[in-house]
Amino acid sequence: MGVEVDNKEPAVELTEAETELYDRQIRLWGLESQKRLRTAKILISGLNGLGAEVTKNIILSGVNSVTLHDIQVVTEEDFCSQFLAARESLGKNRAKASLERARALNPMVDISADTQPLEEKAAEFFGTFDVVLIIGQSNNELLRIDAICQELGVKFFAGDVWGMFGFYFASLQRHSYVEDVVKFKEVEAKPNQKAKFEKYAVPVQREVNYPAYSAWIDFDANAAGYQRQLKKDGPGVILLGVLQKFRTVHKRDPSYKSREADIGLLKAIRDELAPKSALSDNSLEVLFSQISPAVAVVGGVVAQEIIKVVTRMEAPHRNLFIFDPDTCAGYVQVIGG
Amino acid sequence: MAAAIDGVLPGTLQELVKKSKVLVVGAGGIGCEVLKNLVLSGFHDIEIIDLDTIDLSNLNRQFLFHREHVGKSKARVARESALSFNPDAKIIAHHDSVTASQYGVSFFQKFDVILSALDNRAARNHVNRMCLNAEVPLIESGTSGYNGQVELIKRGLTQCYECTPKEKQRTFPGCTIRNTPSEPIHCIVWAKHLFNQLFGESVDDEDISPDAADPDAQGPPQEADAAVGGDGDGDGKKPMEEKEEEDATNGNVVRINTRQWAKDCDYDAGQLFNKFFDEDINYLLKMSHLWTSRKPPVPVSWDTLVPEGTTDVQPEFARQHHKVWTVEECAHVFANALKELAAAFLKQEAEGETLSWDKDDQPAMDFVAACANVRSYIFNIERKSRFEIKSMAGNIIPAIATTNAITAGISVLRTFNVLQAKWEQCKAVYARLRPNARGQFLVPDASLAGPNPNCYVCALDPAITLRIDTKRVHMKELRDDVLIKTLNMLHPDVNMMGTATILLSSEEDETTENDSKLLHELNVVDGTILSCDDFHQNYNLSIIISHFNAERDDPLFEVVADAKQLQPTKEQPKKETAEEETAKAKEERKRSANGADDGPSTSKRSRPTEIEDDDDDDCLVIEEDNDEDVMIVATDNLSVESTPKTAIKRKPSEAMEEEEDITEILDSSDEEEAGPTKCKRSRIEPSDLKIDPLLEVINID
Repeated sequence: MGVEVDNKEPAVELTEAETELYDRQIRLWGLESQKRLRTAKILISGLNGLGAEVTKNIILSGVNSVTLHDIQVVTEEDFCSQFLAARESLGKNRAKASLERARALNPMVDISADTQPLEEKAAEFFGTFDVVLIIGQSNNELLRIDAICQELGVKFFAGDVWGMFGFYFASLQRHSYVEDVVKFKEVEAKPNQKAKFEKYAVPVQREVNYPAYSAWIDFDANAAGYQRQLKKDGPGVILLGVLQKFRTVHKRDPSYKSREADIGLLKAIRDELAPKSALSDNSLEVLFSQISPAVAVVGGVVAQEIIKVVTRMEAPHRNLFIFDPDTCAGYVQVIGG
Repeated sequence: MAAAIDGVLPGTLQELVKKSKVLVVGAGGIGCEVLKNLVLSGFHDIEIIDLDTIDLSNLNRQFLFHREHVGKSKARVARESALSFNPDAKIIAHHDSVTASQYGVSFFQKFDVILSALDNRAARNHVNRMCLNAEVPLIESGTSGYNGQVELIKRGLTQCYECTPKEKQRTFPGCTIRNTPSEPIHCIVWAKHLFNQLFGESVDDEDISPDAADPDAQGPPQEADAAVGGDGDGDGKKPMEEKEEEDATNGNVVRINTRQWAKDCDYDAGQLFNKFFDEDINYLLKMSHLWTSRKPPVPVSWDTLVPEGTTDVQPEFARQHHKVWTVEECAHVFANALKELAAAFLKQEAEGETLSWDKDDQPAMDFVAACANVRSYIFNIERKSRFEIKSMAGNIIPAIATTNAITAGISVLRTFNVLQAKWEQCKAVYARLRPNARGQFLVPDASLAGPNPNCYVCALDPAITLRIDTKRVHMKELRDDVLIKTLNMLHPDVNMMGTATILLSSEEDETTENDSKLLHELNVVDGTILSCDDFHQNYNLSIIISHFNAERDDPLFEVVADAKQLQPTKEQPKKETAEEETAKAKEERKRSANGADDGPSTSKRSRPTEIEDDDDDDCLVIEEDNDEDVMIVATDNLSVESTPKTAIKRKPSEAMEEEEDITEILDSSDEEEAGPTKCKRSRIEPSDLKIDPLLEVINID
């Protein structure tokens, strides 16, 4: 699917109903962007709280279609943040359980559910999307899908939220976009008036290369050259490493049901991965389930990035995003070049 | 249940969440998101208030509402939808204005924390005052396009919403609108005034006819006779039919006649068009002094544009909102819109009602777009598409789901901090499109911003200086434009300080006879101190009058909020109670110890950063290298005796103790944050980025 092939104007025209519905956002990103959204096909795999938040935002923006993918069922934990699945759907497939409310958000978007395991999906499956977002998978699976997406020119995002902590990684290959650059011009002064300057925006076309997900796997947070950065930003990158390691080793995420024991396991991994890091015991207290407001922040950021990618307006962040719930800082790190 | 599942949150927080009572003010873009986050996080006791109903253009982000809800109460539908996420929650919905009198201080005091998600400054100011009074922490939020902001407001600890001056409302002098427009917005404002003259509630200061009293129209004395209508006394040839009356004081054509005249000629498109765009323009041309240094307007007449009369059907181009219509097309749109509006108006009029302008009402918007563009054409101003004119006429702030979600998420995370009394963690957070030099695009402030000791709202004895033309401003305008619109009081009472003279009463009819009097006629002159009081807001303010003679393009008044310059702190508290004096002195010592108090207007903590006026909110970037705070320094050099103290309504003594404690925290955090603030602190309000927020209050997030 289309990466650089079509920089030409999308062929669709918006209907009057669409123009009216999307009025407030068209005033922000313009008609052209709205038309590009109108053609975009998105895969969201992993319909937990984060999946639900991104799904909501993406559907509201007016994309062409969203495929909700999940093999898991709705559990009590989803009550903390997965608002697309009704409480009555406990035990049902999460993607299917989310369909009804997802569709109600915007009847103009084509929404479907897919419950086949990702491992069974052939490469062509991913090729039918413009953007793929994978939530809740192991690093191995993320690497595999990212490699397929690289091959097919599909934009790849991986993201997760643990409790109040969250991240995403964007693997966008070569991405071109338009960015407004603010300039000043002298306004034609009337006689007897001093010169005035006016701000105006010039759209500039740019192109950036994004490293693959493997760049994150290869990244060494203990490298000497990285320590200053780490001190400035806080230990978010370390924490992400710890949580992903936990998932790899224990084949699950920390659970509120075994809260104390899992905090112990997390500490052990931390002490092994980054013995002298600034990652405090306190920050291991809020990593359970998915806490709605934090999910809303990360889900908002991820959805906005997907919109940027689809509309090719403004630079997508490059390329690892960390949300620090302690300070509410959200920052990006360039991983791999 | 819900996060709500035990064990998900740390135990103490879980308990606090369960037992807290919270109020959400506003059920728009942020409010919907906040409400969702609250119920999913396990809050059980929630009230939500919003006066608005659901509009189609809300649905791209206010996700608790669907198509079938259009026209229904936002607060009620939001409640229903949120309950489906967590049926265990108890939510009370108020379909009402938060400024209504039943929501007094005692209502606000019921809550542990209040989250405001409002779309306009007036309501924000009001909620700010109520929360300060009720001593309830307020989490204030707002978005505009990609920009979002969340901050804690807590009495004595942080700056309040009104501690920093807001971007001035952009207003336009009457003569610019009526005689010499030079920007599209001038023509748009004129067109909205024209709508009101013909169909709307009759509004003062909205004349659309040429203003013969324009000082610029007065030539040098020896030439004055030559300029028709340039004598300023209004006895030149009138722009309208001779039977019209003249308002002797300012040369206005009495507006009711415009409306009657239009009705009398049966809303004939050609006649109306020619009057507004041909005859009135010709009249303006005769005020020749206006055009000595300006390009004169070129009148257009109906017959040249629409030779065969108009068509009944709405032509295709009228629905092309992104196209810039030709002046001929504008004439067609004008005729069609006029016909529809006239019919609607006559129907309303029969019931004693009028039309009110609404950007989402098609003929009303068409009418304004067409008239604004014809006038722009006449004055050689760039014409705009209907889409663009709608933005300007309706003060539309762009709004997207993602920024609202992010902002609301941060609001509720801050609520967790507030419940745990982790005040020092509640630094303001800004959402931005592009990352700063540190790679942050969700940017927390480096420190909590403390209260501005000179704030005219949250200071102990607030005072402002009002520069005002006391020879041209009437009492009614002091009330409506200064006290209500600018200083955001609801029902002000005004006394002459130190006397029993009531100049303005909030009781109906008590001081009506003063309404039409000029300030100087009521002895409100340079140096006068007025004592203003709003009972509902429990708010007292001293206003020091400073007279000036306003020039043609000057606004008639200006509020100088920093009264400190007029009241040197050292000699100030003579008449204050001992208790207050100690507290103040203590506070001052602490500030001095931190080097924060090095003279007026320079305390970094309490001084605002100036933001650039930026109408293009989609490309607003806070530049990192723009580091140093720009200080706003008032330049008024008046010196006035410190104001005598009036009775203070608020100030329970615990409040003072609490304030002291908090000052300690503030101080210690000062020390930690000794270095220069890394991120530029600025307050981006949706309303700051608008073109003319006063014209209409809009309903966005």
